[in-house]
Amino acid sequence: MLRSAITIRKRIIIAAVIQAIVICLICGFGYVSFNAILTKLQAIEIIDDVNIAFLEMRKAEKNFFLYRDLSSLEELVQIGKKQYAVLQHSRSYLVTRLHGISHEEYSNWLGNLSHYLDLVQQAVQKKEVPPRSEAEIRKLGHDLTAQSATLLVRERKTVSDIVSYSLIMLLASLGIIFVIQVVLWQYFFRFIIQEITIMGKMIKMVSEGRFHEVAVRTIAPTNEIQVAVKAITDMARELEKREQELVQSGKLASLGVLISGVAHELGNPLNNVSMIAQTYLSLYDLLGDEEKKNYMEDVFTQSERIKKIVENLLDFSRQKKQELHDIQIGDLVQRSLALVGNQLKISKVKHTVFIADHLPPVSVDVSQIQQVLVNLFINAIQAMEGGGELFIDASYDQEHDMVVLAVRDTGTGIKKEILPNIFDPFFTTKSTKGTGLGLSVSYGIIRQHNGEISVESEEGQGTTFIIKIPAKGKDKGE
Amino acid sequence: MAKKILVIDDEKIVCDMAKKILEAEHYEVETFTDSQLALERIRTQPFDLVVTDLKMENVSGMDILKEVNRLYPETRVIMLTAYATLDATIEAIRERIYDFFPKPVKIDELKQSVKKALGDL
Repeated sequence: MLRSAITIRKRIIIAAVIQAIVICLICGFGYVSFNAILTKLQAIEIIDDVNIAFLEMRKAEKNFFLYRDLSSLEELVQIGKKQYAVLQHSRSYLVTRLHGISHEEYSNWLGNLSHYLDLVQQAVQKKEVPPRSEAEIRKLGHDLTAQSATLLVRERKTVSDIVSYSLIMLLASLGIIFVIQVVLWQYFFRFIIQEITIMGKMIKMVSEGRFHEVAVRTIAPTNEIQVAVKAITDMARELEKREQELVQSGKLASLGVLISGVAHELGNPLNNVSMIAQTYLSLYDLLGDEEKKNYMEDVFTQSERIKKIVENLLDFSRQKKQELHDIQIGDLVQRSLALVGNQLKISKVKHTVFIADHLPPVSVDVSQIQQVLVNLFINAIQAMEGGGELFIDASYDQEHDMVVLAVRDTGTGIKKEILPNIFDPFFTTKSTKGTGLGLSVSYGIIRQHNGEISVESEEGQGTTFIIKIPAKGKDKGE
Repeated sequence: MAKKILVIDDEKIVCDMAKKILEAEHYEVETFTDSQLALERIRTQPFDLVVTDLKMENVSGMDILKEVNRLYPETRVIMLTAYATLDATIEAIRERIYDFFPKPVKIDELKQSVKKALGDL
């Protein structure tokens, strides 16, 4: 995948560069806009001054025509010359700054002003205004102010346009920044969050003891988070290995107890074979062919029985890779009881098994769950010195879709103060007889199956262990 | 009239073989794999000799021994066992057990013991 081929360091650098470029562009544009407004305003200020001066000239002109006062005209010429000098001086500045006026127009405008002033000056010199000139003066005066006013209006409108345009560009820039952030999130940062979320889930699984689900993931890290994720899967693999070793140690501990029971269990079929052989030899002459055949068949049946006992034990003791199979919990209970059958008999423990009808199957590692059950049965038997009763009850918890197995004994019970510690590794009440691995390993196994194991106990009354394992529903079938 | 022997063992083969061997010695043999039924049988009918396993479901060999002692003090009891603990042995001796055979049982020795118990040797 492309997205994971980029390291986070690169992603952050690319994102920062893109953001910096966008911000520079926006600032540059802002600078250009404001600069344009500023120069326009300076130009407008000049025109505005000129316009005011023209209005004053018109006022002086009107005064002359009303009162025939020549000093008004002198004043007009004075103002006019000053403005002419200003406009002449600012010519190139204004023409380049003010887009609303061309060189020709400007020259025309200046020409008008010059002509106007000439006419007025002539009138001042002659101390009178010929009627033909009067009309021309009035017209020129009017045109001059009209031109400057028009120019002013036009330029003000231009400034207002620039301001509106800048405003729109500002909003657009915000939009662009927003879009870029969304794009960066989508293509750069979302994946970081996603990968961290995945990592979080994996860490949670490890903390819950579900090492296998994490350990089986293969990761070729291409970025920093994936390096961390790979470290987690490596850790889970190592933990899984350790746990398997622990499970095996727990199993060996159970095996020590089982083996004496099994040795005794072998006693019966061995005795049978021995007795058949002795009887066969002793009564050889008296036995018919059919009877002899029956005897040998019995020997065979008994040797099969021995084989089965030994196989069952070997099967239990063998270290295996975790493998999930669909199985009925009842079968698991029977298989486990078979291993401790003799122990129950020797210890005078009666057992009652109740398996609810139509239980859904569970998907479990048969050997591991058997280990848990054997361990619980042995604990129960050891808690009932001098005999007692063992109740095994399997039911279905519809609400949580779990198969529930309760193992209850009528033994000595567990002291309240040590009840919270019983699932701790190496915690034992059996001094040298126990390793303290049984229940902690059982706990680990059940958690690995996404199940729960809990205990209820009352001193002197007995103990109940409750195991819940997710049912293998039809919808979850593979 | 043939002497009556009761054989009790969870294992059918033990019962069958003991019956075969002892019948060959002209004894009348009755066998039970269910010790509860055997106990009920003892209560209705005396036997000349009882051969019983020690560890059994339902009623144990020790209970059979006690019941036989209570009902028929003259009847002798021979016990077979796959796992004889010292405690069980002592208890059996106190209950005046006649003989004790660890499994696997040597049939000739059992036969000799039966004959001796019944005064046929």
